[in-house]
Amino acid sequence: MEKQANRAFDALGFLQLAGKMIMEYGGETFRVEETMQRMGCAFGLEDVESFAVPSGVFVSFRDEHGQVQSGVCRVRRKGTDLKKVDEVNRISRMLVGGEITKGEAYARLQQIEREKPFPTGIPRLLAGGLCAGGFAVMFQGGVQDAVLAFAVGFLVQLFSDFMDSRRMQSMVTILMGAFFSALVPTLVHDLIGGIHLEATVAGTLMPMLPGLAMTNAVQDTVREDMVSSVSHFAQAVITAALVAGGALLGSGLMRLLEGGNI
Amino acid sequence: MRELLLAFLSSAVGTLGFAMLLHAPKRSWLPGSLVAGAAFLVYDLLVRTGLSEASSILFGSIFGSILAQILARKMKMISTVFVTLSIVSFVPGLGLYRCMMYLESDQASLGVKAGVDAMICIAMITLGLGVGGFLYRMFHALVEGWKRKAQGT
Repeated sequence: MEKQANRAFDALGFLQLAGKMIMEYGGETFRVEETMQRMGCAFGLEDVESFAVPSGVFVSFRDEHGQVQSGVCRVRRKGTDLKKVDEVNRISRMLVGGEITKGEAYARLQQIEREKPFPTGIPRLLAGGLCAGGFAVMFQGGVQDAVLAFAVGFLVQLFSDFMDSRRMQSMVTILMGAFFSALVPTLVHDLIGGIHLEATVAGTLMPMLPGLAMTNAVQDTVREDMVSSVSHFAQAVITAALVAGGALLGSGLMRLLEGGNI
Repeated sequence: MRELLLAFLSSAVGTLGFAMLLHAPKRSWLPGSLVAGAAFLVYDLLVRTGLSEASSILFGSIFGSILAQILARKMKMISTVFVTLSIVSFVPGLGLYRCMMYLESDQASLGVKAGVDAMICIAMITLGLGVGGFLYRMFHALVEGWKRKAQGT
């Protein structure tokens, strides 16, 4: 009896872990619900119901004794790691397809949770630079704009990673990142000249813009999950406002230093 | 021709960096970037033919969204990865910056116009993703139906 109860508890813990990981690392709400539902059915559980919002995951099912088991899990975003979201989804697919056992799936899930994201360190900083440099050219910038945007993107990413390591709020990080993204190119433009300021600043702002939040909001809207959709839209709007506000602060400070009015 | 190639490559390179920042799976980096480049190329071509900015973004994101969903299915990966990457180039970073610059230099009407343009861009991206997803699902359902019919006969 006790053994069977433990088995039911394990299933609950497993489903919660899978759902929580998808939500924590940037997956959509419908994916969390679908994954928990499918995994629950693959375990042979009955009446599996799942509900997710960006800040929490709820799951319930009827165990082999006909008793309803349910659990609530608070979700706190840990940043974006789409590889982990994809891996959890893959495990779900393999479990449903009978390619792996419940034990193997649980072990893999725990392994994925422990895995360090890639890239980190210097490669991640280079990615920030690459993103900014590439988009600076896309906005009609030249070679010198791309080089400057790369350097600023690299430094902003360094600052952003430092703030993350100090567990600062992501909103502060975005605001400060956008501030430096506008400040440094404007400073270089004023001191040296010869750069296309608009293209450089717009390029360096691109890595901070809320592309994923927008996609998640649309995906949730398409599936008529309005609660999560509105929540993701709000996240996208707030992020965009912070980026714009940071850029305004940066260029405003430069104008002040030049002796103009803000 | 050179400008189109540059538009494609710059968008793809920028998106490659963005894919790495999102910690997207490694095998999605190159195809995701190429999809983004192709979607931006469609947008750029349409703008050059005289279509409005908003309509060009709409068609570009529909194209990118469909391509992203096809790729996700072929590579057996979550569509979020490719869909997000396909629209990154359209997110109005420049529009947002222009809006702030105009407001900061007391050119309120230009600032508001730039802000509204940026909002329209976002609305078009959203619409494009929705329509692209719908078209893909419809097409996929039709193909599956034909396959089942063919197997049945």
